[in-house]
Amino acid sequence: MADSHHLDLHCRIILEEYQENLPLFQQKAEQLHALLKKTLADAGLIVASLEYRVKAEESLIGKLELKGAKYKSLSDITDIIGMRVITFYADDVDKVASALDRLFTVDWENSVDKRKLLETDSFGYLSLHYICSVEDFPYRFEIQIRTVLQHAWANINHDTGYKSGVEIPKRYIRSLSRLAGLLELADEEFSKIRVELTDYRRRVQQLVASGNLDEVPLDGDSFRNYLELKPFNALNKRIAAVNQAEIQEVTLMPYLPAFLELECKTLGDVSRLIKTYSEGAFQIACYQLGLTDLDIVSSSIGPQNVCFAAILKRGGGQAGITHFLDQVNGASDGNAIMARILVEQAANLPFMNQ
Amino acid sequence: MEVNITKQDKVTTAQLIGRLDTPASQEVAKTMEPLQENAGGTIILDCSQLEYISSSGLRIFLTLRKAAMAKGGNVIVRGMNEEIRTVFMMTGFLNLFQIED
Repeated sequence: MADSHHLDLHCRIILEEYQENLPLFQQKAEQLHALLKKTLADAGLIVASLEYRVKAEESLIGKLELKGAKYKSLSDITDIIGMRVITFYADDVDKVASALDRLFTVDWENSVDKRKLLETDSFGYLSLHYICSVEDFPYRFEIQIRTVLQHAWANINHDTGYKSGVEIPKRYIRSLSRLAGLLELADEEFSKIRVELTDYRRRVQQLVASGNLDEVPLDGDSFRNYLELKPFNALNKRIAAVNQAEIQEVTLMPYLPAFLELECKTLGDVSRLIKTYSEGAFQIACYQLGLTDLDIVSSSIGPQNVCFAAILKRGGGQAGITHFLDQVNGASDGNAIMARILVEQAANLPFMNQ
Repeated sequence: MEVNITKQDKVTTAQLIGRLDTPASQEVAKTMEPLQENAGGTIILDCSQLEYISSSGLRIFLTLRKAAMAKGGNVIVRGMNEEIRTVFMMTGFLNLFQIED
């Protein structure tokens, strides 16, 4: 525990003001944290972490010991409340900063963009520090914004025990700088990947929406987009009508691997597969459900039966159906039995004999 | 129709015995309602002694699945006989649950 006895009178007054207001600082820190959290969420910004702390008494005493004369009053110390936003992506640092700018009054004179302070030929501590205030609170507070990688670097650098770059033996400075450069490059690459992926997704969405399905390779993103067009709706409704059944909507993403195995390379291929085998899929459902009073089906009945019909019609037989069931529903001994039953039932259906 | 519910740690097992037809389903639904509170963990529906399931029975399973999805849990349907498994297949219910032999 730091000892405040050796502080001069001026510093002791500052310390007393801090002690008196500590509950207020704590309460305000919580409020600001909650406000910032909500603002980031509303802006759709997903961050790695959002931390806050109220400066500990020992830390304040340490600061006063070092440069107490610099501060006229407690309100000159801007980091009693500190918050830290750690982002996944480098370009999110600026997005968070602009959200802060809208939310708080930023003290531009005292805010530092350490990213800009760095010399062009050196690497190191990249971080954005904003000193902010709000109307109903007389003290300013500090918010640091940095990426996960900048945070890792800063933490490890701090862990060396050296406060300033000048103190560190030269060979380590060089190593740390090399690492900082590497991480900066990695941050840039991560951002680039995100931008490219977003572009790709947008392009896929446009192609799907405009009906150019043959131009869209079949993958997780494109299949998800395609499912928004409800390509199995007509078939599902037709099947449900057999027993006036209700349709329980479920995700159809588990069918992606099956369509890939059925040699669908583009969404156009999936669309044609559905068209070609919808009649067979319906006949299977009609045969199975027609003799029951089951009045509930899941929306996966359509894709399931389309795959059934395609596999059977292409000669996949019992082994093909078993493999499909294992793939979509998880491996189980019962799948082979289901496959046998299905093969027997389908043998006499019109679509198998056309 | 009989339902035996046992709980061990985060795993709740409901053993279903008999015919889960429409008349039985109302009471079974009531018996199984407390299971929803455990939907954050694993729920095992032991069907090894279940002889028959109707649409109303499927709806009870579905309700549990919804609760589990909301709470991040998992529903395992275990030991279905051939007839019940066929019902699951022809309604497109097979891939809604983790099926175990």
